[in-house]
Amino acid sequence: MTVSGNVFRYPEAIKDRFLETEDIQFRDGSKASPADVWHYLTEIGPKKYPNVYDYSNYFGRKISGDVTLPFSLKHNYLIMTMNERMTKAKQNGVPVVFVQGGQSVDPYYAAGAIALRPASVGIWASGQHEGLNLNQEEVRRANQKEKAYRAISFEVCQSAGYENIQEGTVPVDMIAPFSCLRCSDVSYGLEAHRHGKRKDVKLFLADYPLDHQKDKEWAITYFAENIRRLIESIDELTGNKTTAEDLRREIKLHNEGRKLAMEIADLWWSAEVPPTNGKDRRDLFQMGGMELHGDPEASLSLLREAKGYIAERVKNGQKGFGVSDDPARIFVCGSCVFPNEYRIEEVGGIVVGNDNHWSDITTIVEEDGDPFYNLAKAILSYPYEQSIKERAQWTVEQIKRSRADGVLFLYNWGCNTQSAVARALVDEIKRESGLPTLIIEHEQRGTQTEQMQNRVNAFVEMLK
Amino acid sequence: MAIKTLELIRKRLAERPEEIAKARREGQKVVGWQGYNIPEEIIYALGLIPVRIGVGGDDRLVEIGARYISTKNCVFVRETVGLFAENKDPYIQNTDFLAFDATCLQTYRTAEILEYYFNKEVIILGVPRNFYWPEAKVYFTKEVEYFTKRLEEQTGTKLDNQVLADTIALYDRIREAIVTIYQYQAATANYLSWEETYDLIHAGYYLDRREYLSLLEQVLSELREKQGQPVIEVTEDEARIFISGSVIPPGDKKLISIINEVGGRIVGDDLWSGLIPYLEVKIPENSLQGLAVGYLNRTPHGALPYLDLDTDQRIKRLKELIKTFKAQGVIYHTLRYCDPYTFKAKETKDILQKVGIPLLEIHTEYAGSDFEAIRTRVEAFVEMIRNKHYEEVAV
Repeated sequence: MTVSGNVFRYPEAIKDRFLETEDIQFRDGSKASPADVWHYLTEIGPKKYPNVYDYSNYFGRKISGDVTLPFSLKHNYLIMTMNERMTKAKQNGVPVVFVQGGQSVDPYYAAGAIALRPASVGIWASGQHEGLNLNQEEVRRANQKEKAYRAISFEVCQSAGYENIQEGTVPVDMIAPFSCLRCSDVSYGLEAHRHGKRKDVKLFLADYPLDHQKDKEWAITYFAENIRRLIESIDELTGNKTTAEDLRREIKLHNEGRKLAMEIADLWWSAEVPPTNGKDRRDLFQMGGMELHGDPEASLSLLREAKGYIAERVKNGQKGFGVSDDPARIFVCGSCVFPNEYRIEEVGGIVVGNDNHWSDITTIVEEDGDPFYNLAKAILSYPYEQSIKERAQWTVEQIKRSRADGVLFLYNWGCNTQSAVARALVDEIKRESGLPTLIIEHEQRGTQTEQMQNRVNAFVEMLK
Repeated sequence: MAIKTLELIRKRLAERPEEIAKARREGQKVVGWQGYNIPEEIIYALGLIPVRIGVGGDDRLVEIGARYISTKNCVFVRETVGLFAENKDPYIQNTDFLAFDATCLQTYRTAEILEYYFNKEVIILGVPRNFYWPEAKVYFTKEVEYFTKRLEEQTGTKLDNQVLADTIALYDRIREAIVTIYQYQAATANYLSWEETYDLIHAGYYLDRREYLSLLEQVLSELREKQGQPVIEVTEDEARIFISGSVIPPGDKKLISIINEVGGRIVGDDLWSGLIPYLEVKIPENSLQGLAVGYLNRTPHGALPYLDLDTDQRIKRLKELIKTFKAQGVIYHTLRYCDPYTFKAKETKDILQKVGIPLLEIHTEYAGSDFEAIRTRVEAFVEMIRNKHYEEVAV
């Protein structure tokens, strides 16, 4: 790794070994060779997106610096090429669907669409602005967000890409989230698009039933109908007819990703020392959701390759870059936000797991039988969406598997539904696991980062 | 001259907690419920005493509730939790179990918190968000059937079809009486204010429903005697205000009293703690399925998203009611962190602007710290409406 004046560069010393690694396979049949990736990361990227190469620890999305992990480099490549890849997909007639709700994205891809979560839509929008340093990029993002706050309400916890979609900067074809219990802003944020400027964006809500939903046949049947209608709505965009077999095939593909992520997590958690830093761990685990890169095949090819590297590091007792000796291990629960892993590592901690998104990744879908019913049943079974006690029980299992020393419950400012159960969940987790816990509200619009970090740091110090 | 029956209702409300306590001692069970889509008819038909729980306006209880639920929840749900945490309210003390629906996610979360921290038995009624789909009606019917089964298990009683039919008829009459009384309160020469009507609705949360109907009919009889048929016209000195937005439960008088103090006259609302639950309830048959369909076909609650603005029944109803009550401006009340209504404030303002109705959003909590700031804004709004009226008359 080379760092000059807080600007990161990939070191030439790792090039030869990196070039021997696997290609990235894309859904459209194309590939990116390690040479392509290397060229992009070392030649194109620094010119197009200088902000990405900012190496301050205050920048939570900074490049990990663990340069001998090929998946980490390839992940950065996929993130930086989001705009180019989405533009290409759109030119090829592939519809892009905005999703939310922490769900698996199998049905969207089965119908031939690309499913993007808010963060990915934000990355796509950022990719359209070249040559900006970190400060310029942050100002641009904040300005964009302000438009959404004005159009919806200043109390939206996240504007969920509203500003980018309504401004037309990202040509999303459809907004089709799942309602579910995790977030109330999903439904109302979707509804807000009805008064927006863009009238060409299709709106659809997959209605997630609540309360012991996985044990009620009528709830599963109803949700299966929602999935069926969702696919039909995407079919209207593509002009194709998606079959049950298409969905079954997609479920199998996504199951492979989910299983790989779980196997990698077991390896990671079994290690004496953390084999990666917190940022690489989070990216890697989340790849199991097959939505991170807007291309499930690409995510899958990274996961397949990553497993071997993690296994090797675990076998050799190799520690991830930037991780301190005997770090305090923290499991993060709560909303769709996370702390700055680098800052936690600075003070001797490491984030070893999250409940958000991990809940859907750890739910394997039955492959035999009616795929609509199976998928509905699996989605309604996500532990994150269950009662306080049931969710806490699953979370405690993950905490124990990850050998966490403490639990941080983080919720976004304005997040009604996660904040509502924060104390109850934490009380239950504390009772079941005996671990210290801390509840923190994630700051509004980046204005209180240091206050939050101070509290997290104090928690880490206490654990150590 | 005031409506005499109102005094009687106040007296009966004062006596009601002890009456309920006595009924419990004699073996009757009390269901405290909260939500928008719970068919109360089922609770009543099973011989249970329904009490619609939840009050507002008490910042102390809000603070107590926030120790269990969070400060990022609306004050209504925080106060509801505070009521259970303190456990001094006689209606709360006298609930045997609770029934909540999943219309608003925060209400659903409240139910979870009450179950977790206060060991309350809570029966939840699932509510579909794609409520206009035929499949959603099937799902909701199943939910209503399951809800009824859970209630039957609690009581050891089976729901009798004839009793249900009688109860639906009773509730239809209550709804009809309330809708008619609303016409009277909005009339030019009115003997009943909107505030009194609002209290009248809230009396129905606690009183026995047969007695309640009888009292409503007495009120109506007095009104007919005094006013004849209600005539709704705008008079020169009025600023006729319509209230929309978040819940204003019993006890939350802040905004209402400010509007009165500055000379505004409230003539209507589409609040889920006001008129809207009683409008256009058409139960197609005397069965659980009939109830499910009838409830789901009402004006939808703001927490149920609807994706096409042009065919939104809630917006359509709002416009109709403004017209019916000849309102000249809308005060759109939003509670902090009440996303279902807060997110729609700007949209509603834009829609009403197109039909010449001004809208003022008041975003508040139960604390008194913003009282003067709200008063200044409401006063200016009321003045603006009056001036507009004078200008129109002059033209």
